[in-house]
Amino acid sequence: MTKTLVIYVHPVEGSFNSCVRNVVVEHLSKHDHEVRLRDLYAENFDPFLSATERDLHHTPPTTRPELVRDVEDLRWCEAIVFIYPTWWSGLPAMLKGWIDRTWMNEVAWVLPAGANTIRPQLTNIRRLVAVTTHGSSKFVNALQGEPGKRIISRSIRLMCNRWCRARWIALYGLDTSTLADREKHLATIGQRVARALR
Amino acid sequence: MNVVVVLGHPSADSFCAAIFERIIRALELQPSHSVTAIRLADEKFATAMSTAERVAYETETPLISDETKRHAEVLLQAEALIFVYPTWWSGLPAQLKGWLERVFVLGVAFRFNKHGKIRPNLQNVRHIIGVSTYGSPWRYVKLINDNGRRTLTRAIRMSTGLRTRSMWCGIYALDTCTQQQREEFVNETVQKIVKRLEKSSR
Repeated sequence: MTKTLVIYVHPVEGSFNSCVRNVVVEHLSKHDHEVRLRDLYAENFDPFLSATERDLHHTPPTTRPELVRDVEDLRWCEAIVFIYPTWWSGLPAMLKGWIDRTWMNEVAWVLPAGANTIRPQLTNIRRLVAVTTHGSSKFVNALQGEPGKRIISRSIRLMCNRWCRARWIALYGLDTSTLADREKHLATIGQRVARALR
Repeated sequence: MNVVVVLGHPSADSFCAAIFERIIRALELQPSHSVTAIRLADEKFATAMSTAERVAYETETPLISDETKRHAEVLLQAEALIFVYPTWWSGLPAQLKGWLERVFVLGVAFRFNKHGKIRPNLQNVRHIIGVSTYGSPWRYVKLINDNGRRTLTRAIRMSTGLRTRSMWCGIYALDTCTQQQREEFVNETVQKIVKRLEKSSR
């Protein structure tokens, strides 16, 4: 029983990623996880961090009332499951923008006076799971240095609990995959995510 | 040389914007360069790829708005790409990432050969230069992995020519940098860029 925040990002309903979302949410709900689903595209989330908001960088979250729901979700959850397509080797702008805007001062981190590195605040989060698809092969992604993977497994994980575990569940080579490959992925994805949350 | 300089910081009074303007001024002084400045925030460039764009992405005509068409034209003429942006969460700011997603599409960044394989289409680009500001110290950035840099100098680099060179200028632990250190960084960066582009335009 884990409080799980599912962040789903894909602009097209009916896409492979939306099938993954359905399977994962259904599987987790059936197995007694408390799931909150956020569909950033459906909510029309604005991923652009504006100049005015940038000026609020060091202020408390109360200065950004429009993000109160995101802050509440982040402080509530024990695990985050990201479901998104990898584009240009990284997170889609929509998801990166969500992180840029909502992982804010006093929510995700604090900067003590005089320090030049930030300190983690999201100690409630003990699992991060990325469920993603790559158009290209694993080899090409390795050459590119897997930037998307490192943002989740290192950059944002460091703002979570010290023992937070990050799991990477990816389907590579989607562009050249067969229907059977995709069905196989969908058949096991619910269990793989559930196992990652244990 | 056709140089395209992109600013990925939303504020006009930021350090990134200051570096950006200095680079533009220095390059415009050189008669051999023609400079295109892209200020994404000023243009109110849409950050996220829309549903219609994602559907069009899979077709032969992925550029469906005037905004992206205009940027694609500039890109197809570019011989040097210079990115000036702040590194946030070890990666590109969302708007700059969105620029890559929405403009670097079929017919611009890549094309298919007769066997249906993806081939680079930006052979016109001979230089990729990144200038970034980091809140974290250099060691922390290396530990986390400089994901923005990798996206630009590896993923985007794969869409350009075989001999395309990349160059990186970063200022680390920006919050604790003195005014003098910042000034030195800007001067050095501008000099390095001018020198790099001067050599190859001969």
